[in-house]
This record gives sequence, C-alpha cells and structure tokens, in this order.
Amino acid sequence: MGHGKYLDPIPAEKQVVTVGSGERLEFSYVILPGESRELDLVIDLVGEGAEVDVKCLYLSRNGDRVRIRILVHHRAPGCHSHQLVCGIAATGADVRFDGRIVVAPGAQQTEAYQENHNILLSEGARVETLPSLEIYADDVKCSHGATVGQLDADALFYMRSRGISEAEAKRLQMLSFLSPVIPAGREEEVTAALFSLPS
Amino acid sequence: MSALLDIKNLHARIGDKEILRGVDLDVRRGEIHAVMGPNGAGKSTLNAVLTGRSDYEVTEGTALFDGKDLLAMSPEERSWAGLFLSFQYPVEIPGVSITAFMKAAVNERRKAAGLPEMKAGDFLKLLREKMALVKMKPEFAKREVNVGFSGGEKKRNEIFQMAMLSPTLSILDETDSGLDVDALKIVAEGVKSLQTPEKSVIIITHYSKLLEYIHPDVVHVLKEGRIVATGGDELIEAIETSGFDQF
Repeated sequence: MGHGKYLDPIPAEKQVVTVGSGERLEFSYVILPGESRELDLVIDLVGEGAEVDVKCLYLSRNGDRVRIRILVHHRAPGCHSHQLVCGIAATGADVRFDGRIVVAPGAQQTEAYQENHNILLSEGARVETLPSLEIYADDVKCSHGATVGQLDADALFYMRSRGISEAEAKRLQMLSFLSPVIPAGREEEVTAALFSLPS
Repeated sequence: MSALLDIKNLHARIGDKEILRGVDLDVRRGEIHAVMGPNGAGKSTLNAVLTGRSDYEVTEGTALFDGKDLLAMSPEERSWAGLFLSFQYPVEIPGVSITAFMKAAVNERRKAAGLPEMKAGDFLKLLREKMALVKMKPEFAKREVNVGFSGGEKKRNEIFQMAMLSPTLSILDETDSGLDVDALKIVAEGVKSLQTPEKSVIIITHYSKLLEYIHPDVVHVLKEGRIVATGGDELIEAIETSGFDQF
C-alpha cells in the first residue's frame, strides 16, 4: 500500500508518454556492452483500459554505467502494465534499476506487474535494484519482484555433462535467461554481444 | 577383455569429511553393473566423482576410462570420451529448446574431435530417428529442456539424449529412494534398447526396484565408502530380505 497521502508522482516538467483509453504501447530497450546509458521512462495510463508493456535488456561490463528508471502511473481504472528488466553484469559494471508503480485512487481493476532479474558474473559487478509499488486503490492485482543471482551451477554442470563446453554452456544459459526480453530479430546481435562479456 | 572403467583405491571427500575410502571397481565392455548401498554409503559421491562435479576432492586412487585418466578430465571431456550420466533429477533449462540443446551437444563434441558442424538436415534426421527409438513424441523437439516435463517425460528425455550421444559408459543415478515406477520402466526399456556388446552401464541405486527391469551382470554393495561385496542376483535377494546390515 502507499504510504501517506497520494500525490501525483509525475513532476510537471517531465517528459511523459501518455496512453489513452483502449490504447496499447510496447517499449523495448537493448543496452549492449560498452554503452553507458540513462533511461528515464515515465508512462501515464490516463484512459480506461490502457495497456503498456516494457521490456529492457542490459549487458554491461567494466566502465559501463547504466541507470534504468521506469515509472508507471495507473491513473485510470482497468489499465494493465508489465515491466520486465533483465540483464547481466560483468566485473566493473555499475547498474541501477529504479522501478516504480503508482496506482492512483480510483484506478480500480488495475493489473500492474514489474520484474527485475539480474545475473552477476563476478563479485566485481555492481547491481542495485529498487522496485517500489504504491497503491491507493483497493481492487487491484499488482506484484513486483527482483532477483540478483549468478549463473546456475547445476544447469551448467548438466550441459557440460552432455559435452557442451563450459563457455558454450554459459552462453546458452545467459541466452536462456535473457530470452524473454530479446526483441524479435535481434537474437544474433545479443548472442554476439555475449561473447564480448568477460566471464 | 580389458576394463572400460578401472577404479582403484579411490578416496574422496567433501570438505573435511572423507566419504569414499578405497573403492575398487572394474567394469568391462558389454556389462551392466549395479552399485547398491544404504543412505550415506557414498553412492552420490561416487557418481559425482566419476562425472566430474567440482565440489568433491579426490585424495587418493585412480580411475581409468578406456585407459585414460578420467579424474583429470573436465565434465565435457568425459562426455566427449564416451561417458554419460543420466540424472535422477534432470535440470530445467528455460529458453533453450531440446533441438538447440542437442545441436550444441552434438556439435561441441564434433568440434572437440576436429570435425565440422553437422549439416542441419543430417542433424534433424538423427534427432527424429532417436526420438522415435525412445518413443518420444516429435513435438518435444521444440519444448524447452525439461521445463514443465513430468517425471516420466524427464526420464525419457535423458534416455533420448543418451541415444543421441551414444556413450560407451552410462551411469544411471537413481540414488534416491523415492522412485517413480513408471519413470523406472522408461529408463529400463531405454537402456535395454540401446545396449550393445560394446557398451556398459552402471546403475547406482538404493533399492532393487529398478533391477527388476534391468538385469545387471554384476552387483556391488557399497557401504561406508568401500565396495564390501560383489556378486550376482543372490546379492539383490539378500538385500531384499535382510537389508544392508548384513554386510
């Protein structure tokens, strides 16, 4: 639940994407190794039944500073939002995800989901995740989740025991982890970028 | 004939705890061996050491596979040399289809042998042929590896991979006592259909249930980190009637 009084979360000077009644928008971002980026996305669901889907993938290595800020404001009833941010950080990467969902009073039948999953390839990578959910309506379905983990040793062993080399097993697992956020048609580009991440 | 697997005085520990305390085991080509033992006997450790899990440390002894030092090989090198481990609990790999997974397994092995990648058409033909052999439905080729599979489907997928890789030595890990009879039948039928005079199998198990379906040539009892008895069917019967305390 929201703490205290509801305040419009969107500052007046902010650039905002508004989604009107019955509209559906999709956003997809790919941040590749060697890219430092500040992504600042503010979405205002202003019309009844508006929908938004945000997917973001990052692959970051030494020297990359990535800031991903996403605010989804459910202003009207019956709106749906999905945010999925997945990424892999190698040594020296500095990544921060700041995701916020605000459900305004009266925005009933809201469905809002936010997930942020991160894999650290070494202890020298830094990932901070700050998911938040503020709800001022009572008939809503909302969830958020964040994980920061490593490659799955059991799955790597399983693949290696079938004759897949360690490097290829890692690459397959990273692709598998990223697959929900890889935009159609960019599979090869992402696969190639995985090779430029130091393990 | 010389042994395909020749284990001598194998000692292994995890952390400070010594679990294998001098295992001797000879498996010749064409033979099916069963290694049975109570919980804590060292069955899982033996399996882990043979297949190359890194959390166990071998402190003494040798294991030769086809004359080569098995313990010096990485898990993938063991696979390339002809070893296969059937997992009791196969791992789920979301986002990777069975086709992509097997393509990687087949081509990585070819790469290691200095061969070019298999042609896509030849690979698909092989895939279909082996799926049919182990009675796996063709639509599974597109499914993500083990994701949402029933226990029986996971086992069939293990046997399918075994058929694809055609190993000379298969180790079947059925160490847990909570065995699903239908899954065991799938394993047993698969193993039997793939068995040739050149291939060997080691079944590591707690109970004799699986051995009702796959008849082993040699039975070993593993207890407190050592092989304490070796024989034939009479050992299975003895274990069924009086358990492991007699050894």
